[in-house]
Parts: sequence; C-alpha cells; structure tokens
Amino acid sequence: MPQLPGSSLAVKRISASPDPAPSIRTAGPEFAKLIDISRCIGCKGCEVACKEWNELKIEPTRNFGSFQSHQDLSADTWLLMRFTEIEVDGDLQWLIKKDACMHCEEPGCLYACPAPGAIVQYENGIVDFNPDKCIGCQLCISGCPFDVPRFSAETHKVYKCNMCVDRVEVGLEPACVKTCPTNAITWGTKDDMVALAEQKVDRLKDRGFENATLYDPAGVGGTHMMYVVPHGDRLVDYDLPEDPTAAPGALAALAGLKQLGMGVMGLGLLGTALHYLKYGPEVADEEASDPASPEPGSGPDAENT
Amino acid sequence: MSRLERFTYFERVVHWTLGLSFLYLLMTGLAFSHPRLFWITVLSGGGQTARFLHPWIGMLFSVSLGSMFFIWAKDMRLESNDREWLMAVRAYATRQKDGVPPAGKYNAGQKLFFWAMTVLGVVHLASGIPLWMPAGVLGIGPFYGGTVNTMRLLHYATTLGGGGLLIVHVYLGTVAYPGTLGAMLHGRVSRGWARLHHPRWEKEQAGD
Repeated sequence: MPQLPGSSLAVKRISASPDPAPSIRTAGPEFAKLIDISRCIGCKGCEVACKEWNELKIEPTRNFGSFQSHQDLSADTWLLMRFTEIEVDGDLQWLIKKDACMHCEEPGCLYACPAPGAIVQYENGIVDFNPDKCIGCQLCISGCPFDVPRFSAETHKVYKCNMCVDRVEVGLEPACVKTCPTNAITWGTKDDMVALAEQKVDRLKDRGFENATLYDPAGVGGTHMMYVVPHGDRLVDYDLPEDPTAAPGALAALAGLKQLGMGVMGLGLLGTALHYLKYGPEVADEEASDPASPEPGSGPDAENT
Repeated sequence: MSRLERFTYFERVVHWTLGLSFLYLLMTGLAFSHPRLFWITVLSGGGQTARFLHPWIGMLFSVSLGSMFFIWAKDMRLESNDREWLMAVRAYATRQKDGVPPAGKYNAGQKLFFWAMTVLGVVHLASGIPLWMPAGVLGIGPFYGGTVNTMRLLHYATTLGGGGLLIVHVYLGTVAYPGTLGAMLHGRVSRGWARLHHPRWEKEQAGD
C-alpha cells in the first residue's frame, strides 16, 4: 500500500448548524472507496473485517435462500454484501452490491438532521455520525437516498459505516479495503479513484459489458464510495437508485416553510404588540350595570341562541 | 358586583392541560426545527429526552383536545349571526363596537379559532405518528423516506397555523381584554365584562 496523502478531519459540514463551517484549513484531498463489482468473489471478508475493526456485535443469522449473510443492515451491521440473482438474456447473473454508507458529497442525512453536530462531514469526504449528539429522531434515515442508517432500539440512536475514520485519519485504508483478497475494493483520493474507475469501465467494455459504468451519482454531488457496475443498465436490479437526491421535494419545501414560519410568528408577536400600543386594553364599564341600558345592536332583532 | 360563572372547573382543567402541553410541544418543536432554538431542548432535559417526551406530551395534548371538542363543540356551532360578526371583524379589531353584532357565549372569531385548532390538531396528530414511530406501528409502516418527509412538512405547516393562532389567542385572552384570563383561571367574569364582550350571553344569564 503506497503512503496516502494526509487526510484532513477538518469539518466541512455540520448538521443543524446555522453558522459557517468551522474549517479554515486549505482543503486537503477527498478520499473515496471504489468497489469493482466485477472483481468481487462474494467471500464477505469485508463484512468480517468491518465487524472486527469497529467491534460490532455478531448478529446470529439463518439461511433464507440467499448467499447473503444477513437480510438487512442494522445498527450492528454497517456493511452487507447483497446478492441478487436475475436472468439476463437467458443467462444467470449474480449481481452484488456492497451495501453501506455512500458518504455523499451532499449528505441527505446531514441535511435532515435536527441535532446540532450529530452528523458531520469532514473535508476528506467522510460523513460521520456522532452518537453523543444524536437525539434518536431517525429523520436521517428518511433523508438518506440509499436507506443506509439504522436505528438501535438499545441506545435509541442511529448508526452507520463511518468509513473507518479512525484508520483513515492516520493514513490507513478502511478495514474492508485492507482485507479484500481480490482488490475489488480500492482506496485513494477521489480523483485517483475516478481515473481508475474509468480504466476499469473501459476494460469491462472491451470484455463485452457494453453498459459498464461508474456509479458516482450527481444528484448527491457524487459519493465517496463508488461502484464500477458491469451491468450499468440494470442499476435497479443492483438496488442502486437511478437518480438519488439529497433534498427530496418535501424537505426543500420544509426549508422554505421554516423561513415563513419564523416570519409569521415574528410578525404575529409584533402585530399584537403594536395593536396593544395603539388600542390598549378594552376595560369593561361596570357602572352601566342596568340591563335596560342601551347596548348597541342588542335590540329585539338580535338572534336567539 | 355580581359575577357570572363562565367556565366550570372541569373546563378549566382541560383548557390548561391543552394549553400547557401545547406550549411544551411548540417550544420543543421549534427547537427541533430551528438550530438556533435547539438550546430550548436543554430546558426539557436534553435533546434525546425532548425527542422522547414530545410525542408523549402530544398524546396528552390529543386527549385534552378531544375532551375540549366534546365539551364545546355544541356551543361552537356557527349561526347566521356569526357571518355578520365576521364581516365586521375589522371594526371589532379597531374597537368600533357599534358596527359589531352582539355575540352570544362565544363570538364568531372564538368559534373559528376552536374549529381551526381542532382541524389543525387532528392533522398534527396524524402527521406526528409516522414521525414518532417511523419503523411502523400496529402493522402499518414502515414510514421511512417519502412518508416521513411529507409528514414532516405537514407537521410543521400545522404548527405554523396553530402557533400563529395561539399568539392571537393569548393576546386577546390576557392583556387586550382584562378580565378574560380570570374566566379561565377561577371561572368567573364580571357583569360588565360579559355585557361588553358577550352581550347576548349576559342577557341569558340575567335571571341568575
């Protein structure tokens, strides 16, 4: 493994923070993980390495008719190799997806989070959860276009892959990269990984995978976990969204509504204050206590209840 | 000076259960919606505690809203007289009482406030449940993704409506009309107050 350039943990984005991002450092390189699905042999060594390095609980599983180890990600399983069997032109195809956090450049989870500092994005591209500040609302799960974060019923907080930030910080590759026996997973600067992916895509095309493509979706500003997908025309079968976006319409509308909300409440307070200053309290006159005294509009034409 | 009973003990208890739970929900809700107001969660024992309590206080709010509906729905039926009152709302707001038809126990503004709060409350409760239990409840769900994001929008929109109305409600019920707060605290109002604000109701009480 060649020496990696320094990785900056300077904070680029913070959840629920109205203030500017704190980093004044010169931006260091962004890093990215590249998954070449065509090289994956399905050994699931990466799953084990992930559990080991991050000291995550072993979850008992059972055979449910798939090569897959578990049915879904969980608060204790941050990485899951998903295996889908489909028929393409009469041939069986084994589609593999390394399901884990994509570390989006525009992180939907971070934008959806109401707890200041519970989700941060570093300049190196890693999106990290800080369980300390997580309030357990789970809105990040709904903000994620890839359905990755998982809620723990035990701690009432949400967890996901942190790209082994503690390894990356000191110039090491993430545990899954280190363990992969076929180099299906590679690690480096984002620029290098995009260049490498393009070579890999070209090679796949030469081998007859005409639709081979790099999955680095623009709707989330690109990701720091990218795929080389042999069947690029079948993203849905890989369970990869065709056009993921960080801010679905409802959340974008919500942002506008919040501005309106503060405006309306502010104007409401101001309006009532000004009304009071102009008209003051309307005090009842207790002297005119005779019921026969003329009361405007209270004549016989007044309606009965 | 004779006093009239305006709200029973039960009505007052229900009103304040609703009012105080509303206030808690509004404060913590604003804290979750606006990062600059997140500090409000500290008053509720921290972010995670506020997130835990908000829906439960919401249940208390919903129960008191339901009780209030059954107590007052009958009195809040709109009559033909209310239309005239609403046409004269500008005169009412600028204290030109001559142009305002006399109100019964509740004026049209109060009635509309009641109905608006009821509708907003129901939508608020309905949109809050998927946010409370996004993984699903009673076999319905999960709600993660689009449902939660849409409900979040709806939950905020109803807050906006309810919060705006609350400001007016509190203003009119306290400093604008002295004597009104007492009606909800100890239940009684003066004859003069009743004659000024609810003349038709005052007449009905004349025999008491």
